[in-house]
Amino acid sequence: MQQVRALPVVGGFADRLLAEDLPDLPHQRRAEVVGFVARRVDGLPSFTRFGVLLIGVVFRALLAVPGGWGLGRVVLRLPLPFVAEYPRLVRSLGYAYVWEHWPSTTPTGGAA
Amino acid sequence: MIARPADAAMDAEVLVIGSGAGGATTAAVLAEAGIDVLVVEEGEWVEQGDTVPFSLDQMDRQYRAGGVTVALGLPSVAYTEGRCAGGGTEVNSGLYWRPPGELLARWREDFRIADFDPAELLSIADEVETVLHVGTDPAGPTAPSEAMRRGADALGWRNGEIPRWMRHDGSGAGQRQSMTRTYLPRAAASGARIVTGCRVDRLELDGDRAVAAHTTLPDGRTGRITFRDVFVCGGAIQSPALLQRSGIRGNIGRSLAVHPTVKLAARFADPLNIPDDVPVHQVKEFAPHLSFGGSASNPGLVALSLLDEWNGFRDAVVDWPRISVYYAAITSQGRGRVFSVPRLRDPIVTYHLTARDRALLRSGLGRLALLMLEAGADTVFPSFRGAPAVRTRKHVATMERLFSANRASVMTVHLCSTVPIGEEAARCGADSFGRVHGATNIHVNDASLLPTAPGVNPQATVMAFAIRNARRFAAGESHG
Ligand SMILES: Cc1cc2nc3c(=O)[nH]c(=O)nc-3n(C[C@H](O)[C@H](O)[C@H](O)COP(=O)(O)OP(=O)(O)OC[C@H]3O[C@@H](n4cnc5c(N)ncnc54)[C@H](O)[C@@H]3O)c2cc1C
Repeated sequence: MQQVRALPVVGGFADRLLAEDLPDLPHQRRAEVVGFVARRVDGLPSFTRFGVLLIGVVFRALLAVPGGWGLGRVVLRLPLPFVAEYPRLVRSLGYAYVWEHWPSTTPTGGAA
Repeated sequence: MIARPADAAMDAEVLVIGSGAGGATTAAVLAEAGIDVLVVEEGEWVEQGDTVPFSLDQMDRQYRAGGVTVALGLPSVAYTEGRCAGGGTEVNSGLYWRPPGELLARWREDFRIADFDPAELLSIADEVETVLHVGTDPAGPTAPSEAMRRGADALGWRNGEIPRWMRHDGSGAGQRQSMTRTYLPRAAASGARIVTGCRVDRLELDGDRAVAAHTTLPDGRTGRITFRDVFVCGGAIQSPALLQRSGIRGNIGRSLAVHPTVKLAARFADPLNIPDDVPVHQVKEFAPHLSFGGSASNPGLVALSLLDEWNGFRDAVVDWPRISVYYAAITSQGRGRVFSVPRLRDPIVTYHLTARDRALLRSGLGRLALLMLEAGADTVFPSFRGAPAVRTRKHVATMERLFSANRASVMTVHLCSTVPIGEEAARCGADSFGRVHGATNIHVNDASLLPTAPGVNPQATVMAFAIRNARRFAAGESHG
């Protein structure tokens, strides 16, 4: 379990989510944020990390099929314990990074 | 910098695991009594000033898991633990509360803590106040602090500036009197060895005695430390986890107590944000059940506080210089658990809020919103999914109606009570001086021992207990 790196598992999802939330965030910055999110997931306590990677694998699979992202968003809105925490975790880490590093970022991610 | 690298094999009369509020004081008291002490700390030694307080970089270097730790439940409760030389004392807000006298007396009765004189703890607190230079800020309250005071005064609610362990120089600049500045150097000056970057994985037992600690360095190298006695001071999550990993049973990790908090962001007409410090005012009108205070509010944390209702609140993120984040904290009836699962490095932590806790969080957030409006906030942004922006008293009522703890960002930085102290066998994990029930030479001496969450910032209470117990040990009176 420790050998599985987070970036390949959560990277695609984080990238997609942040691209949608913060459409004006420059690509290079988004890549930096995704890298940070993955590093933090790598450092999570064992059980949480396992859970996040498990959910991440499911969403990675969803992202790989046509229409999968739409389906994934529906799933995320269901009141499923812990599943809804996944985008929340990505957003928390991502937003904290964006506004700490580039405090004048606009609400849509633009560099003011 | 007084830390040194670990050797593969080491020996000490007393091994102290963890160097936070409990471990550092334990090490100083024992070393000053002439005992050969070795302190082993999992985190690194980070000098103050090397990281920006409350930044992500600080979280990377000085917090466990980068500050992303959570007690599972509905809702889950996010918590943070320091993981560096000095533990939580290096990263915390430095707000000092004496142990509450009546609470100490209640603990003595309820948990049957023998030879426990609240007056003794309060006199230790006096000493701690001197060592840590506890005092108010000579520069006066900052703008976010002043906002709390203004709002509370307008409502006639009891409030005040909380003193901090901060030493101010002639220019007024403050230096946090954390453990790396105070008790750890004292311990080292009396001969204690301090090893950082070295994790204790488990204790090796021989019957009811621990004979060695098995350690791992960040590069994977392992080691073994032998000792006569061991003080486990890893904090309220890691201490029970370590004991469980070592095969120690009993009331270990079953009664985690915390102060759950909910937050809001308050926006004012003028800039007030202070990115690298916290407000020092607290409102205690409804204490001990409910308290209000200020949180770290750098732009990243402001964005986080708006996150739960991002679609509605996101435009406010650009106003972060005019925003400060505040919290409502409760004393919780709920409890949590810490349990170690074989082959998992980290423990699983759970927490359960009771119906009363949820109601208190709801009314707490409502009152806090009111307070901020009275302080002059033009808009209050509560941190829960589905929250409305609050601009008037009427909105406060709507907000309370919509609030659900399950949709809120509930978090805590005060973790206690996983190895409660006392002779009450059904509830306590350690005896009246912190020795683990059923073990002869294993002592716990940190926040785990507090019988319940104290209803105030806990570090001073942790330190007072730790000093009391270490003194008793040094005097030879608690040997089995
Ligand atoms: C962000 C934050 C803000 C806070 N603000 C305040 C405040 O303003 N006022 C207040 O009174 N309290 C505050 N607190 C709480 C206070 O810091 C704690 O109550 C106190 O530090 C607890 O002391 P401790 O000795 O139990 O644990 P800690 O101080 O957490 O120390 C435990 C140490 O043990 C180490 N350790 C753990 N396991 C192992 C192992 N297996 N091997 C080796 N080392 C190990 C850890 O790395 C850590 O350094 C705050 C806490 C945080 C996190």
